[in-house]
Amino acid sequence: MDLTLTVNGSERTVSIEPDETLLRVLRERLKLTGTKEGCSEGECGACTVLVDGRPVDSCIMPAPVVAGASVTTIEGLTGPDGSLSPVQQAFVDNFAVQCGFCTPGFVVTLTALLDENPMPTEQEVKTSLSGNLCRCTGYATIVAAVMAATGRGSA
Amino acid sequence: MTVVGRSVPRADAATKVRGEATYGVDFEVAGTLYGALALSTVPAGHIRSIDTSAAEAMPGVRGVFTAADAPDIRSGLAVNDQPLFASDVVRFEGEAIAAVVAETMAQARTAAAAVRVEIEEMEAIATVEEALAEGAPLIHDDWHTYSVRDGLPDFPRAGNVCGEMTVDQAGVDEAFENADVVVEDVFHIDRQYQAYLEPKNATGLYADGRYTVHVAHQQPWNVRDRTAAALGVRPSDVRIVGHHIGGGFGAKLDTALEPYAALLARLAGAPVKMVHDRTDDILTCASREGAVIRMRSGVTNDGRIVAREFLCDMDAGAYAGDTPFLTSIPIFVVGSLYRVGPTRIVSRAVYTNTAPTGAFRGVSGTYLYFALERHTDNLANAIGMDRREFRVQNLMSDGHVMLNGQALDDAGILTTAFDKAEQHVPWRELGKGPNRGVGMAAAVWLTNPMAGEVALQLHTDGRLGVVTGATENGSGAVAMGVRQVAAEELGITADEVVLTMPDTDMQGFDAGSQGSRTTHIVGRAVHNAAVGMRERIRTVAGQVLGQDPDDLEVAGGGVRIKGEDDVRMTLSDVARAALGAGGPIASTGSYATPAPKFDPEAATGLLFPIWPTPTYHVHVAEVEVDPVTGEVKVLRYIVVQEVGKAINPAGVMGQIVGGVAQGLGYALYEGLQIGPDARYRQRTLEAYRLPIALDMPEIEVVLLEHPAPEGPYGAKGVAEPPVVPVAAAIGNAIADATGGSIDRVPITPEDVLDALEQGSEERT
Repeated sequence: MDLTLTVNGSERTVSIEPDETLLRVLRERLKLTGTKEGCSEGECGACTVLVDGRPVDSCIMPAPVVAGASVTTIEGLTGPDGSLSPVQQAFVDNFAVQCGFCTPGFVVTLTALLDENPMPTEQEVKTSLSGNLCRCTGYATIVAAVMAATGRGSA
Repeated sequence: MTVVGRSVPRADAATKVRGEATYGVDFEVAGTLYGALALSTVPAGHIRSIDTSAAEAMPGVRGVFTAADAPDIRSGLAVNDQPLFASDVVRFEGEAIAAVVAETMAQARTAAAAVRVEIEEMEAIATVEEALAEGAPLIHDDWHTYSVRDGLPDFPRAGNVCGEMTVDQAGVDEAFENADVVVEDVFHIDRQYQAYLEPKNATGLYADGRYTVHVAHQQPWNVRDRTAAALGVRPSDVRIVGHHIGGGFGAKLDTALEPYAALLARLAGAPVKMVHDRTDDILTCASREGAVIRMRSGVTNDGRIVAREFLCDMDAGAYAGDTPFLTSIPIFVVGSLYRVGPTRIVSRAVYTNTAPTGAFRGVSGTYLYFALERHTDNLANAIGMDRREFRVQNLMSDGHVMLNGQALDDAGILTTAFDKAEQHVPWRELGKGPNRGVGMAAAVWLTNPMAGEVALQLHTDGRLGVVTGATENGSGAVAMGVRQVAAEELGITADEVVLTMPDTDMQGFDAGSQGSRTTHIVGRAVHNAAVGMRERIRTVAGQVLGQDPDDLEVAGGGVRIKGEDDVRMTLSDVARAALGAGGPIASTGSYATPAPKFDPEAATGLLFPIWPTPTYHVHVAEVEVDPVTGEVKVLRYIVVQEVGKAINPAGVMGQIVGGVAQGLGYALYEGLQIGPDARYRQRTLEAYRLPIALDMPEIEVVLLEHPAPEGPYGAKGVAEPPVVPVAAAIGNAIADATGGSIDRVPITPEDVLDALEQGSEERT
């Protein structure tokens, strides 16, 4: 079947199997490999993308469901001139990246959080991250990055 | 110093936040096919038949292969006991039986599930106790025919025991008789899954009689050697190319899918990519081993430890892996931290019908220190002495001789660490109030001594290329540590350093990101290489400038006359001039820590005999337990850690906080449990409970810096130790809060409720 959707601002039409996930469409059909697959069951959050502005686990999202929707991946958060988004820059400046495999999912999730709630408390940040696993950092620098991105915190 | 000691953002941060970094799972070449393994669904049995016909007939399938298609070889890290595919006996659930190559990953996985294997099931041995019971069936009934790995002396092994380390000092039994009180504890420890977020993967290619494997791996040179051994070819017939690593934590030090991907590429005549799904990854991963520990000490009423016995059985799983090496670790733990009298240790690696276990950050130390420090609390309590006072009274000091006969010249740093913890927050102020408790635990940990090499090249644009097989597993050891040392050595900014990915066909041999070694060892190799490079730069610049090279220095981004501030030639000018004056500027350097003296007679079966470049650590935890649910809340967590010198303070903090997080997971949430049927109970990341952001307390860190004379700018190992004492400190705090005994890892809510009940009974 053909699937038409908007990805990072461009309309794309791809031929897919009906049982494909959005993650497979992004990684294998569109070669957007910034979105990662960690668990394939919606547990780790590494595959998080925005669908019409809302964060979803693309590994368990059937692709046909997003027909006509607007999808934003980690690649779509960088500015047209290649500049980092505020959350991306805050991750760099606050040492919120170690192995980096979970990072795209965290950046996308937190971008959605700040769109909805521009000045979250630390507790609200942590709660918003309940669906994102990081095995490296212990989360402290990630939370610090968000606080810094909202003009609070050190870096 | 202008670069070392500063929190410079890591080299790979921007590419990672953009989603551009290519990890192993992202790497692909044109014409790639996909491979998947058919794994045994039973833990023990005899294979009666393997029927691949249904799988072969499935859409897109290019081939189905079994042991009949692979060389008839057994290999291993310590014992040559493991074939690529089971052909007659199956020894664990998850053991590979066949492999499928197909046009898509989904086709390969579907076909792998269609391989029909008829297995006559045998009773599976699920625990070390069952494996050691009299008359237990042998997991490997031909164990005596197995050789040990080339270059390794043979070591004690027999039946289901695949490695045994023994220390038996004179006078242990007599010393127990002279004790006022003897305390005995038994500890049961579950496995821990490394749970790196990038599942294991490999892409194999075969051309011109050589194998190339693209990996996200912590130790490319080991992958090369182990892949070659499994395939029966020479190591230089295999080339390993590294990519960004989505976490490893020790699990990506030994081979997993690499030999299969290489073999399948040759058999299928095309590149073959393999990626585990999460369940297969859990079923086959060499997790941190479980163990059973029996520990007994005699103390005097005035608080001296006069005798000790320590018996430890480690669960190696169905194949020995690295566990025979790990039986050595107790010798560095059981007689350290505190002075003890005559000591006996028997530490065994035991085969069971479960997935082979292996390296995880702080190998074995997490539970060995749990046992030692829980036991230390019990000793203090048994004679009615404050637990901190008992520790301080018995602390080892400078020159302390460990049970392997090695002297720790700087062991007095441990006293400083205890003092710093007390200055940060007094021990007696913590753990006050109902259901609250405080615990402390210390550790001495090593910096792995194994060799590393770098090649430095000065590019004609003036940037410094660092060619190394050292892997950036996420810790920052390369992206911060090695990079900043290299910049400092050449007087340039960190941005002017160009890092490469590992490639075993190129220079830069490296013993892997393990044992906190990379910044220390590879940083020192960079230092050694930079000496030669600076000399060459001064020689070339001296010719151009008409100056004596001895009057020149490499600093400020170029070459200066000593005592002057102006740069007379940029490094780019020098690099270009060199092309006509002897050739490009390049230099190599290598380093391995000289082995400290030890006593070879101190133990038998000691495969890992030394504990180089030690670091010292004290952790303090304050907890509150919920008397209704048994849940544990960590109120405060304090780390005092000796790091030698923090090359990048933010990077060091990242390692400490991340390490403590893994330790809290180990202590409270993460058990990878084996049922009586020898199968894992947890098979998904939903069932295997990892810490989330909401679980993490603030980690309060006090850094100690006692620079290592031999280290690059004094840096010692940093990344492993923070995970090591966490379960011990948390366990002691929970025992204090409940008044009961805590003797298992992980410590579940049921354990806490049991301890509360036990505590209330003891108080009445």
